[in-house]
Amino acid sequence: MKIVYTDVLVIGGGLAGLRLAIGAKRRGHDALILSLVPAKRSHSKAAQGGMQASLGNVIKGQGDTEDVHFEDTVRGSDWGADQEVVRMFVNTAPKAVRELAAWGVPWSRVRKGDRDVIMNGQKVTITERDEAHGLIAQRDFGGTKKWRTCYAADGTGHSMINTVADQAIADSIPVHERVEALSLIHDGSRCFGAVVRDLVTGEVSAYVATATAVCTGGAGRVYRNTTNAVICEGIGHALALETGVSALGNMEAVQFHPTGIFPAGILVTEGCRGDGGLLKDVDGHRFMPDYEPEKKELASRDVVSRRMEEHIKKGKGHKSRFGEHIWLDITQLGEKHIHTNLREVWDICHYFLGVDPVKEMIPVRPAQHYTMGGVRTDPSGQSPTLKGLFSAGEAACWDMHGFNRLGGNSVAETVVAGMIVGETVADYCDSLSNTPTVPLGLVREFVEREQAKLEAFTRGGGTEDASAIKGEMQDLMTAKVGIFRTGKDLDEAVDKLQKLLVRSRRIGLRSPQLGANPELVTAYRVQRMLKIALTVAYGAAVRTESRGAHFREDFPRRNDAEWLKRTLATWKGESDTLPTLAYEPLDVGRMELPPGWRGYGAKDYIDHPDTPGRQKAVEAIRAQHASDRFAMQAALMPYEHLLPPGLRGRNERIDERL
Amino acid sequence: MDSTPNVIAGVGLADRPRKSRWPARMDLAQSLTGLALGLFMWGHMFFVSSILLGKDAMWTITKFFEGYFVLGTAYPGIVSVVVAVVFALVIVHAFLAMRKFPANYQQYRTFIGHRKLMAHEDTTLWWVQALTGFLLFFLAAVHLYQMMMHPGDIGPYQSGERIWSGGWGPLYIIMLLAVEFHGGIGLYRLAVKWGWFEGKDPNASRKRLKTLKWVLTAFFLALGVATFVAYAKIGYQIRDQKGAVYTPSWVVPNPMEKAK
Amino acid sequence: MADNDSHRKLRIHALRYNPAKAGDTPRIQTYELEEAPGMTLFIALSEIREKQDPSLQFDFVCRAGICGSCGMMINGRPGLACRTVTKDLEADISLAPLPVFELIGDLSVNSGKWMRGMSEKLETWVHAQERALDLKRIEEPMDPALAEAVYELDRCIECGCCVASCGTARMREDFVGAVGLNKIARFRLDPRDKRTDADFYELVGDDNGVFGCMSLLACHDVCPKNLPLQTQIAFLRRKMVVQGTQG
Repeated sequence: MKIVYTDVLVIGGGLAGLRLAIGAKRRGHDALILSLVPAKRSHSKAAQGGMQASLGNVIKGQGDTEDVHFEDTVRGSDWGADQEVVRMFVNTAPKAVRELAAWGVPWSRVRKGDRDVIMNGQKVTITERDEAHGLIAQRDFGGTKKWRTCYAADGTGHSMINTVADQAIADSIPVHERVEALSLIHDGSRCFGAVVRDLVTGEVSAYVATATAVCTGGAGRVYRNTTNAVICEGIGHALALETGVSALGNMEAVQFHPTGIFPAGILVTEGCRGDGGLLKDVDGHRFMPDYEPEKKELASRDVVSRRMEEHIKKGKGHKSRFGEHIWLDITQLGEKHIHTNLREVWDICHYFLGVDPVKEMIPVRPAQHYTMGGVRTDPSGQSPTLKGLFSAGEAACWDMHGFNRLGGNSVAETVVAGMIVGETVADYCDSLSNTPTVPLGLVREFVEREQAKLEAFTRGGGTEDASAIKGEMQDLMTAKVGIFRTGKDLDEAVDKLQKLLVRSRRIGLRSPQLGANPELVTAYRVQRMLKIALTVAYGAAVRTESRGAHFREDFPRRNDAEWLKRTLATWKGESDTLPTLAYEPLDVGRMELPPGWRGYGAKDYIDHPDTPGRQKAVEAIRAQHASDRFAMQAALMPYEHLLPPGLRGRNERIDERL
Repeated sequence: MDSTPNVIAGVGLADRPRKSRWPARMDLAQSLTGLALGLFMWGHMFFVSSILLGKDAMWTITKFFEGYFVLGTAYPGIVSVVVAVVFALVIVHAFLAMRKFPANYQQYRTFIGHRKLMAHEDTTLWWVQALTGFLLFFLAAVHLYQMMMHPGDIGPYQSGERIWSGGWGPLYIIMLLAVEFHGGIGLYRLAVKWGWFEGKDPNASRKRLKTLKWVLTAFFLALGVATFVAYAKIGYQIRDQKGAVYTPSWVVPNPMEKAK
Repeated sequence: MADNDSHRKLRIHALRYNPAKAGDTPRIQTYELEEAPGMTLFIALSEIREKQDPSLQFDFVCRAGICGSCGMMINGRPGLACRTVTKDLEADISLAPLPVFELIGDLSVNSGKWMRGMSEKLETWVHAQERALDLKRIEEPMDPALAEAVYELDRCIECGCCVASCGTARMREDFVGAVGLNKIARFRLDPRDKRTDADFYELVGDDNGVFGCMSLLACHDVCPKNLPLQTQIAFLRRKMVVQGTQG
């Protein structure tokens, strides 16, 4: 049995994993990254639009602070987020952008003087301040009060991961590429690393570590129509779920992006709408102002996606041979803007649609985009139920997104969480009491169990086709667990997914070999993906309210009285066909921003009994500290103690000098 | 020059062995010798093609290079010196260019396959350049050695005789093709290699350079063939007069005589 | 998206070879499938794997032309399979793995390993003077046009097409390729990187670096991101010659 030892084992080589590993390494701990693909090819790369941080450099971002970013994020989450974590996040985001700037990300910069922008379909001239010249620029994005999204032209995620991956190389952090974790090694209370399969040779080995971090991104591929890369199959989620101990939070919260190109599902950035792109129906009518007079195309993603589907249901979609879609019109932005700031969009339209967005409208329809749910962690990034297991980024339910994530907050979360959890992981490793006495017998047991499972596939006897099961699951999820959900559909989905799960235990292979074998990979992954799909569908079926991206046609109201709580799913037994659900209440009494109307979408919700009381208390504190926003915040909800010491402190701005 | 240790010390590269400066010098030298030879080749072509304007024109140019019109006497030795310099350039250029050739059979096979698979114009052109360069190792050496040793044998009749009766015809015609392709491609490559004439739109400039390259190659080949035919014709006409020397009727006295 | 109903029969001739399997020899296998509207090689190969041959190895990640995983030789030239639309090709399509890189199997190559090696060799990261940063402070300003210019060169996706198309890289395995030279050009341009030309000469001032380039420009012609490789390599060559002849 081959065993690799390291201090910190990071599963996933995207932005969160890389940044976390760098943090731990710079604190003196050996970090090792496992990745399905070369790190720079992770899905982080696909974040085109940008990263939110309240720098307030551009004139339209003037007055932006952590407070505004906090409120936008909490409202966006439909009060599902952990507000302390949101505070940690918004205070660290500017630091993260600035760190990345120093590391080499070519952020687009402010140019002083006049420039023309398109707002609301109108050309407007805005004037940037002299003192902002050369500082990091921000653009408009959905669901935000201020222009807050920092960007590197149209390849923000690309430039970020290039830079961070290169820093990891500079720090000599090894990345074991083309390997896959099959299970976490644990004794029911503590995690010791992972069983890992080499995808090239098929070799199975153990990686033993003091701390293990799951940073594997999203699970979009349980759906048919998704903007996610083909590697986003929720395998990290499954690793945690299959321990039976650590929980997945809020898996029913799935975001659909309004503008996946139709029918391929490839994302075109929110920046299109942020920069002034419009959504139009079959008649060429701009319909969003009819539904959302205030934010129009720039309401949060869940709202825009829902309005688009609603409009299609009214017969206003454009009909094509592949189905109906909406038009995204960016022609008014002009050739120069599209060729410089939205070039990736032009590329995608050109190469995958044969459309020139300078002249023609782009066919779009909402597609699965983001997994808000994930491995439940405390604010330090550690699983509350499995010591030594950490998680960061999309894979985690740290919980700063609640039931809907704002555009630009995910790529920000990856590096912010990486910075914070990198420190807490290092703290954890520093503590002598956490040095593991490695139970080698246990390690062997886990390795042998995984080997036996693989051999069972190749021994034959199974009759089910892995690809076919996967396809059925994806179609089912897109059809029944999509943007509009009903109890009937969800029950049907849960029932059918359970049957698929049972069938998946009898998969047979057409090419039964243990080495490099794509079919074998599909076989063992689809079993895990079905469990993830079930946590989504079952969680959605039980949650009889609408919140954020989770929209129940039969329960259209947000119901704080009964559902202001986080879903926690665990998978207790190997032979189970359903997750076990538990709920963790959110404490209104400690919220800085008590639940209310989001400012867009339906105004209709059922209050939590504690909300009016907390609202009064909050107003009193606000009145008392009206002159000092920092004192006010500290009185409302202290959070700084949760941050690592090096990341505490205020952020300097043009209008807020230190 | 010696501030460099400080510079690299500042960024943590101080402990590294310093890289040799020779690759830079060699790269530059290869290009400069190539440029010189390429321009020489064009000039040379113009001079020899003067035969198309008549024997007198060619005679005049020849004698001009022998210093006759400046010194009043023709010294073919001057030509020897020029040829020696060109020969030296050729040797240096060939030596440097050899670094780029496939170094063994494996590399040779790989490149042949690569060229065929890619069917990429500039890649194919490089292969043409490499092959013609290889040919020129021999052709140019023979030609240059001959000219260096017998500089006085340049003239309408002597040159014509060499082609028709002297057995140099096949060599000249192969060398003409080799030199024009090699030089034309080489000059084009120099431009893109060093970023000359990039202009505002380098892709468009490259296209124009490529077109220009082909036009020039075609022009010089046409000129070369015509010139070759002209000399061959003279050689044919004087096939029975071994060792004939042409002197225009208006020249008195004979410049060669005076030199003696 | 032309709504035409005449579906061609595509014949995909893929190179099959598993170096890990003892006794396996490279061969061409032909798969036939019906073309669908808007079909890319990603869709075609996925369908082949799902319905015809689950053992066929290839790499896709983003399937949107941004991650650089799916570089392969398409009809003899390197390109990104995910954004190659079949309707632009003849019905007979030949696919082979990118040369130069270590072959994993069939159409899959280990370009990631090569790129990591290149990055380590050329130190493709910002070398700042000091490491301690005060993250609370406003960032250093940077000229907006310069930031854009750095981004232009930062757009490389390390797909390996330039390396596979390069005559030098094919013949000499230590050549850093256009990808490496472009990285150096990128960091040279970046004011946050404090390295000087003397430092860069140490990295690319030889025949494995910029002087190994023979200006065949196939890299420039096949680059899926249309990076200005021709001009950048020329620029770097000039700077390195100045460094090498004066330094």
